[in-house]
Amino acid sequence: MISLRSKNKEEGSRAVTRARPSFLGLALSLPPLLLVLIFVGLPIFIGFTFSLGFTKGPNRIISIIGQQIHVKNHWWGTFAAYSDVFHDSRFLGDLGLTLFVTVLSTVLVILMGLAISIYQRLIRSKQASVLVTLAIIPLFVPVVISAWAIHTFYGGDGFLRSFFAQFGISFPTLTSTASAIVIGSIWTSLPFAILMISSGMQGIPDALIDAAKDCGAPVARIIGHILIPLAKTPIIIAASFTAIGILGSFTIPLFLGPNQPTMLGVEISNFFGSYNRPQQSLVMAFIVFLAASGIAILYVWSNIKSAKESGRI
Amino acid sequence: MRTIFRPARLLLNLSVLLMAFFILGPILWLAAHAFVSGWQYPHLYPSGFTFTWWSKVFMDSALKTAIKNSLILSPIVVLLSMVICLPAAYAAGRMNYWGRKVFMIGIFSANSFPKIGLFAAIATLYYTLNLMGTFVGVLIIQLLGTIIYMTWIPAAAFASVPRNLEEAARDAGASKFRVFRTITLRMAMPGILVAIVMSFLASFDEAQGSYLVGAPAIYTMPTEMYSLVQNYPIQVAAVFSILLALPSVLLLGLARKHIMGGQLADGFQLK
Repeated sequence: MISLRSKNKEEGSRAVTRARPSFLGLALSLPPLLLVLIFVGLPIFIGFTFSLGFTKGPNRIISIIGQQIHVKNHWWGTFAAYSDVFHDSRFLGDLGLTLFVTVLSTVLVILMGLAISIYQRLIRSKQASVLVTLAIIPLFVPVVISAWAIHTFYGGDGFLRSFFAQFGISFPTLTSTASAIVIGSIWTSLPFAILMISSGMQGIPDALIDAAKDCGAPVARIIGHILIPLAKTPIIIAASFTAIGILGSFTIPLFLGPNQPTMLGVEISNFFGSYNRPQQSLVMAFIVFLAASGIAILYVWSNIKSAKESGRI
Repeated sequence: MRTIFRPARLLLNLSVLLMAFFILGPILWLAAHAFVSGWQYPHLYPSGFTFTWWSKVFMDSALKTAIKNSLILSPIVVLLSMVICLPAAYAAGRMNYWGRKVFMIGIFSANSFPKIGLFAAIATLYYTLNLMGTFVGVLIIQLLGTIIYMTWIPAAAFASVPRNLEEAARDAGASKFRVFRTITLRMAMPGILVAIVMSFLASFDEAQGSYLVGAPAIYTMPTEMYSLVQNYPIQVAAVFSILLALPSVLLLGLARKHIMGGQLADGFQLK
């Protein structure tokens, strides 16, 4: 409690200092900002003009190499490439699968994260810390390896099939199915979600939980009325990061998913490389970006709201 | 509450077991393949044990080059990222300047554009700048992936250093530089360490962008994996996976305490 109080005081004193113009602050933040502007902002902007049919200037070379390029017919460009993509039945299947996998995996990851974190917060046992440690391991495994390991584990020659064959049961090959993508997405997203949520839960003071217990509140009430509401911000941050990560994922669906329909991350790469249709590829990238931005706004809104509540702004 | 009755305890142990199976199963299964001569369905045990796959990897010059490239690239990327981002992180953590929030959110939203789409879009710029298939080109791609870690996590670490400690040291006559070095920097060190580890992993594991920009001229270990899984027996991929995971496991030992202690989680709460 003492540490909590002093923290509040510190935050209070911070709230007094208003943001002010500072040349030094801006100058120090310039290097990473420039790097991002030049190598992320600029390509995205040029790519956006290309998706609208601007084929001159920096887009000249790619327009010559690529196939099925639409050239602008209005001053602002053309939506022809967008219409191409939305009339492609393959894209609609991909979009459906991408949204399905993203929503399902995110929900499962957050539920697992909540279960483990709540358990760890209420009962400090050996099992709880083992669970958290286990869940964090994937953070340190390169995603190429995770994808390939999961591929071999659930694949035709995999452990599950070989194990069940001992009992005469023919276990299905999960590789090349949407289920495998969900398994892989959960596997790789779990560590960050657990770290975020459990850190939020650990920050809830014991006194609150003890007081509720003394008043005879059942565990479900403590969870629903204290733990989850007070850790809301970290939970939303975990959910938005997980969803954004899965939405644009590439390696996991490439190794684990079916060929058709596939997730948009893989299809963007297919359209760009194998099919040589860069314009349509970029259109898909912007559609994914639009979805990711929606999630990112949720994240920023939740952060700012929690900062306001604690009096930091 | 502390005394759990028996069925609950059983359920708990079962869920720990399931979790261990879910997380460790695939890694151990793949790792075991590095030491076997063959392993086919429906046999639960391999047909024999061997070390030949290891010598195969170390004899293959393409694989050796990939290992060398990765080991040279990643440290440079992390160092560059520190030089570029840490001053900005300090400013974002300690100075309440105009545009600070825009800066933090800008870095974040740059990170939420689908990576594969960005790499497709970046090709145009790379052709113009003659960066396609170059060492510098791959370096920049990997650098981009480290920025969010190297700004956000240290910014939170710098912000949480108590001001009164610094003021006390100043009152006792310590110079500004000494206060920064012995108090501010030292207290922010765990956060910076976590940022270094995360950046190293981000760079060392980056596959999609390095492949699109680097291949076929420059292969790193993860991009080599893409062709490895298609063209070599699974055992070679298993050996390579163990080698690729080694640095990460070492770093895990180094930074586990701080990452689990909340430095990573704190870094992603916008303040």
